[in-house]
Amino acid sequence: MVKVGDMFYAQAADISIQQKGECGGAVTATLKYLLENKLVDGVLAMKRGVDIYDGVPTLVTDPARITELSGSLHCAPVIQSNVLFKYLNGAQDMKLAVVGVGCDSLAMQVQIRKEELNADNLVRIGLNCGGTFPPVQAQEMIQKFYETDPMDVVKGEIAKGNFIIETKDHEHKEFKIDDLEEQGYGRRASCRRCEEKIPRTMDLAFGNWGVIGPDAGKATFVEVCSAAGAQLLEDAVHAGALTTKDPLPKGIEIRANVEKAMLKLGAKWQAHDFLSGEERDEFWLEQFAKCIKCGGCWKACPICTCDDCKLESCEPRWVESGIPPSPKLQYTRAAHMDADCVDCGQCEDACPVEIPLSSFFHQSTKNTAKLLARFDEITATR
Amino acid sequence: MEIKYVPTTCPYCGVGCGLNLVVKDGELVGVEPWKRSPINEGKLCPKGLSCWEFVHDEDRLTTPLIQKDGEFVKATWDEALDLVASRLKTIHEANGQNSVAFQVSCRTTNEECYEMQKLARVGFKTNYVDNCARICHGPSVAGLSLSFGSGAATNGFADALNADCIFMIGSNALEAHPLAARRIIQAKEKGAHLIVCDPRYSMTAKQADTYVRYKPSSQIALLNSMMYWIIAQDLHDKEFIANRTKGFEDLKATVQKYADVKARTGVPTELVKEVARKYAAAKNAVIIYCLGITEQTTGTDNVMSLGNLAMLTGNIGRLGVGVNPLRGQNNVQGACDMGAYPNMYSGYQKCEVPENREKMENAWGVEGLPGEYGLTLTEQIDACGDEIKAIVIMGENPMMSFPDSNHVRRQLEKLDFLVTLDIFPTETTKLADVILPGACFAEKDGTFTSGERRVQRIRKAVDPPGEAKADWEILTDLAHKLGLEGFEFTSVEDVFDDMRKVTPSYAGISYGRLERPEALIWPCPTEEHPGTPILHKEKFASPDGLGAFYGIEDRLPAELPDAEYPFELMTGRILFHYHSGTMTRRSPTLDHEVPTGYIEISVEDAKELGIQQGDRVKLRSRRGEAETLGRVTSDMPKGVLYMSFHFSEGPANVLTNTALDPMSKMPELKYCAVALEKA
Repeated sequence: MVKVGDMFYAQAADISIQQKGECGGAVTATLKYLLENKLVDGVLAMKRGVDIYDGVPTLVTDPARITELSGSLHCAPVIQSNVLFKYLNGAQDMKLAVVGVGCDSLAMQVQIRKEELNADNLVRIGLNCGGTFPPVQAQEMIQKFYETDPMDVVKGEIAKGNFIIETKDHEHKEFKIDDLEEQGYGRRASCRRCEEKIPRTMDLAFGNWGVIGPDAGKATFVEVCSAAGAQLLEDAVHAGALTTKDPLPKGIEIRANVEKAMLKLGAKWQAHDFLSGEERDEFWLEQFAKCIKCGGCWKACPICTCDDCKLESCEPRWVESGIPPSPKLQYTRAAHMDADCVDCGQCEDACPVEIPLSSFFHQSTKNTAKLLARFDEITATR
Repeated sequence: MEIKYVPTTCPYCGVGCGLNLVVKDGELVGVEPWKRSPINEGKLCPKGLSCWEFVHDEDRLTTPLIQKDGEFVKATWDEALDLVASRLKTIHEANGQNSVAFQVSCRTTNEECYEMQKLARVGFKTNYVDNCARICHGPSVAGLSLSFGSGAATNGFADALNADCIFMIGSNALEAHPLAARRIIQAKEKGAHLIVCDPRYSMTAKQADTYVRYKPSSQIALLNSMMYWIIAQDLHDKEFIANRTKGFEDLKATVQKYADVKARTGVPTELVKEVARKYAAAKNAVIIYCLGITEQTTGTDNVMSLGNLAMLTGNIGRLGVGVNPLRGQNNVQGACDMGAYPNMYSGYQKCEVPENREKMENAWGVEGLPGEYGLTLTEQIDACGDEIKAIVIMGENPMMSFPDSNHVRRQLEKLDFLVTLDIFPTETTKLADVILPGACFAEKDGTFTSGERRVQRIRKAVDPPGEAKADWEILTDLAHKLGLEGFEFTSVEDVFDDMRKVTPSYAGISYGRLERPEALIWPCPTEEHPGTPILHKEKFASPDGLGAFYGIEDRLPAELPDAEYPFELMTGRILFHYHSGTMTRRSPTLDHEVPTGYIEISVEDAKELGIQQGDRVKLRSRRGEAETLGRVTSDMPKGVLYMSFHFSEGPANVLTNTALDPMSKMPELKYCAVALEKA
């Protein structure tokens, strides 16, 4: 019997999916199994748009179309939680499987807590993520450092601290992410600070870290994160959709080390990005003076889910009108966000005036979390 | 359930941002960032983010309407187009070649602009066809053509990142072109020096390293003075001047008189010198300007003065330099490129050149194309009831956007027949005999050409409402009703291909090549050509390959303040609305943010007149009156007022002056004299 915490190497049973899907097609096979057996009405995942730098959230309801969905696109920072509550009514009236990475999984957790998402109607498939790159800047980076036409790249991958590209002629080139990032390229700011590399709040967490030996590249590492996930994996294997086997102990160790190294790097970047004291206030006041109140940050935010947003209200006005809006706008948002910001970075991606918003909200959420933890401590001793 | 993301191009300003329209079961439900777009990387302004909101509005025009006894009556397409075809034919036969005129909107696609001018020229043998660039960047087309030989922006938006100094004048990009302003902010944060010249301490001016407040309409004096000090401090690029330009002596002699212009411009000489030094000494310096330069009776001269400044310092023809007008409308560049112009065919081929006429006659299978310069947009209005008896207006609202609205109404009422193609009822469609319902940007395929000459696709996401159809389909049907040949178009790509056959600068652009988000930047003469992001690299686009300096003297505006009308009124745009407001005012998000208009008044003037924040105020000019709300702000200089023209309940253009720039026929929308009082 499969239990929470179990780990496997998994593969699609179907040979064609095994070959077509990434790392043995375990995710594709799982999604197909869910659709074919009507365990879900649809699958929400990312599809490749015009090229590998374009990720398009896509709802697939026909199992025959499941292979249209793409594997990982490192240069397409797209989340699904936002799509779920904005356009799919929070899975209130259909059963959905959704595929997402760490920040997305945390956002779904928050949405479920706020009853914006119906967890009973969701199957949550997680993908490990070492970070994503801004799509346009990534192309510039590939041209500049890899001396490769970005249009010739068929795949990007993060492994052992390097960003590796594969060209259409099967050529591999790699650079140390640290070096790229020191020169102003590399992963998005949020991804650098990330501490949710393996999305354990999903039902199952898939990834290629720790797949070594003869299975390397041919199987996917899966960690069971919930009872529902355990059941799904067991049923899918039983139904002949997936095959699993125990991972090599060395593989488990490698996976844990990859995660640990990345978390350490995340902490380093947090220390780098977070400001303190007066410097912090000055910095943000200057940044917010650029704001044109486009609303892109809160429209892209998976935590900002209120139907009746008080920041958009005219009467009464919660924040004084005028452009630039009062800096209170973002401080009010931060307060409203409480300790819930998942640092997905969608706000910063949307900002037309280059305000590094994600670090503002990330730091604010961290501070609030500390404060709340302190209250918990105090009340616990009384 | 079906959910679909449709990548397309924003319908508002000329930056041409990419975005995803989100379609759920055949209806638009939102806009999501398209991070793959090289223009804006998924970032959008308030208008772009809400551009889907007006599309399914209940006010949309859904059937053809014919005016009968003052009432609009629903009609079938056949009834409406039969009537339009027969009335236009009868009027044309009875009143002569130029009795039917055509006004083309820069909001429509290239294909539609091209097709309408083709219909005018093939069907009516007239050059009385013009587009609304006339009242935004007409002077840029005229001025940059004279200076550089091509009327378009020389460098792209993102190229500002290569500049060491950015000189902005008459542009409040952060409000009017926010995603072009993003590049300026990025450049500044990388270390470029940002100079902003504007009479108002605008939102953009607040980002500047150096802000220069000058008196409205004193640009020529200011720029001449900068050039005087550049030459006086020996900062001009003598090699560039010698090798690539002509007319320098004329310029040098002219600017001698402009050492001290404080009285005229309000700018202290020390500041002029400093700005001159900053611009001229920078390794790469770019000029970015907008309608604060063009919408004046000195518009063309203002533009040429900027051309002078760039050439004087050799800031042309490479990365990080150039002279870039920020184009106001999504397809204002394209409408001009397409030949919706009274003296040019597509690709700026002049009608007066017999070889060009012969080429088009052969391509279009007609004879007798006229070579004369046709009447421009506002000249057409003036000629209503005289030479012009009928006008076909596609997607324009002259009642709101042309100067002196009362005059526009009186003139349009003199017409025997007025046809409008639009998506909403407007102040202008009310005057029409026939209204034809169009499809909006989200409901059709086509291309827009952005202000950096980038030709980009728009893609159909949803069906038009009711019987409405794309303008190109309406024009194709009308051409058939008129019995014209050469309009056998079954897709919008057919129209594009018809256009590129006769347009050298677009010849290499095909729909297939536009699938990449990078699209293509004209000139693109062959299908192998990669496009041309930077103009005038080796030589200028003029016939002799040289850039031309012109000594240009300062001139005063057509109407100056006096005892009766003591204030200078500047008009313009605000961040949350777009032009006559037909679309943005139907967008709940934008309407919510700014529900009505206002006029900006300096603190001193407000105090003198006893006007408090939010008071109703009344404005009078020699042409009309308007009421709006007062907004008292320290950003305005004393004696100057600023008002946007988006709001019909307080219409700025009732006040504005029809006086024209002699060269480009641009009316003086940015400057007139008014009186102000508490209402």
